[in-house]
Amino acid sequence: MTDSRALVERVVEAIGRLVALGETIEDEWTYVHDLETVWVARLRAVAAGSGAAAHGAAAPQSPSSSHPSPALPPPPELEAALDRLVAEADMVGDPHRAIDWLSTLPQATLVALGESAW
Amino acid sequence: MRFQDAARDARAVVYAGIQADPLVARAAALLADATAAQRVLARAVMNGESDAAEPWRSMFPTLFGSVAAAEGSAERDRSEAILAVSLAVATRGEQVRSQFRGAIVEAVTELLLARRVAADAIRRERRILFDGVPAEIHPYDVTVETPGAAEAYDCKWGARGISADVLHQLDDARGHAAAEGDRLLPVLVIFDARRSCEVRLARHTAPRTGTRLVTIETLDRLAGRRAEAAS
Repeated sequence: MTDSRALVERVVEAIGRLVALGETIEDEWTYVHDLETVWVARLRAVAAGSGAAAHGAAAPQSPSSSHPSPALPPPPELEAALDRLVAEADMVGDPHRAIDWLSTLPQATLVALGESAW
Repeated sequence: MRFQDAARDARAVVYAGIQADPLVARAAALLADATAAQRVLARAVMNGESDAAEPWRSMFPTLFGSVAAAEGSAERDRSEAILAVSLAVATRGEQVRSQFRGAIVEAVTELLLARRVAADAIRRERRILFDGVPAEIHPYDVTVETPGAAEAYDCKWGARGISADVLHQLDDARGHAAAEGDRLLPVLVIFDARRSCEVRLARHTAPRTGTRLVTIETLDRLAGRRAEAAS
């Protein structure tokens, strides 16, 4: 079974690199660090609970217009997906785009994990 | 309270060209019917660096991998179409894609609203005038001009677009309308997660209690449908 917690920590490290880039926009320093705080907490909470989800019954992925559904088990391609997401985040060289990615990377990670993206 | 077309200055003329681009309409139509995960895909690709489809397919295994909807299904076709249209936006260059992204959020908002209210009540780029109050410089992206139940929408691609100016303009409009005995619901539509929006809003002291926040996970509420999270 994929160790979701270890994989998510790779994403957390990538978020740290985006923070280092984004915080160079002086006016956004607090916002950048607040984004890191809330999204890292969310990702770690999901990763900690993903073992239970992996052993639970699979449920159809909810469309955007429905109620939240139980998380799906992580897909077998999860490790490759998160590695590629981290690589994509590491390609960002512009601090403004880094700030965009501080919100985008966690959402994409949650989708890859089969979770609701929020 | 009166509604009026915004002045057609140079910026408005240029932006109108982007709003009328078929790529904007195509993206908006796809995103209006998209799942939450598909909307996140669009957001990532239009924010991203990679300009080829395959890396994005590998980043979103729940949309394109072994657990995704079967190839040839309507759901899978929509994921592919969203990926293609998002890449088309992303490859326009930083300045242009930023304008496209904003126009797409406005167009999605208009499409979803048209599922709840009469299409002829929905207008774009309108100013709202009140007796004795100087007009705001910036027009509202979308308005619903229903007598007695008007709505004013400001649309943003990301949470970072939330500013004190935006919050004040929306709240002022609501207050001026109330002073004239009218009802105006101001709404911020942000194509970003509510979690990021709340982080942004926490930095502002501008009034927001009378302004409704619609985020990427609650977009369908514009159409009167229930969404994944309450607004």
